[in-house]
Amino acid sequence: MTAASTIKAGYSLPPFVIESVSPDAMRDWSVFLADPNPIHLDVEVVKGKGLGDKRINQGPINVAYMMNMLMAAFPGCRIESIDSRFLDNVYEGDRAVASGEVTAVEGNRVSCNLKLDVDGRGTVNAGTATIIF
Amino acid sequence: MEDFPPAPDVAGTSLDGTAIFTISADENAALCKSTGVDPASDGTAHPIYYYIATQVAMGKTVAGVCETCEFDVGDGPMMGSSGVRFVQQLMVGQDYKVTGEILSLVRKRSRKLGVMDVLTYRLRLHPAEGGDAVLETDNVWVLPRKELAA
Repeated sequence: MTAASTIKAGYSLPPFVIESVSPDAMRDWSVFLADPNPIHLDVEVVKGKGLGDKRINQGPINVAYMMNMLMAAFPGCRIESIDSRFLDNVYEGDRAVASGEVTAVEGNRVSCNLKLDVDGRGTVNAGTATIIF
Repeated sequence: MEDFPPAPDVAGTSLDGTAIFTISADENAALCKSTGVDPASDGTAHPIYYYIATQVAMGKTVAGVCETCEFDVGDGPMMGSSGVRFVQQLMVGQDYKVTGEILSLVRKRSRKLGVMDVLTYRLRLHPAEGGDAVLETDNVWVLPRKELAA
């Protein structure tokens, strides 16, 4: 019997919530990514490009939120793979909720569907992952 | 027959890097905090470093990749998708290097964007001292070709 045997297809993973996406984090990530794209740093640039009136979260941060959800749901386990599609932007101040559902369990490998939703605009990132117990 | 020129032929362009990327404990802690979690206590780094390490240490900058595709980074490349397969977990303090290449650049008509190029590239992260990749990642970017939109 493996640890994964207690998890079944259809199991809903506990959500991971970011109450308010932070522009300070975007500033930090522009350093982590060595990519000072101003749409993540300067509201006036975002407005000038017709992309809205709030700074835009870097895409990889949104993936990190989903990874955090997985790591909290499966403590001590390892992410083997993750694939995600970027469907819409996440903006400063958004409330973001990462969630998922187990789709299959095979031996010590658990497959999941993932998504990241923001209040009022629905799913902005969606994908799949496999976890190794 | 499409009424726009083909995308530049860039498939196979090397993205091998020469830089060494090391995940510092301080940066890993700051990154974890910025995403709402504490750093792991077992020496593993946040797995999102798959994206950061490969982007920072690949052989071209983001702007450079765009330039190879004859696209101005100022015109707003967009992430389409990202996938990764981990062979090993990423470790704080480990030195890594990157190999990789552009897989394809495909020009398409889009209802939303007019004409766009879809760029797919693959990067691998290796221990700097050599050896098999600890991960492989495929990223897809969308490059809107405003100048070709009718």
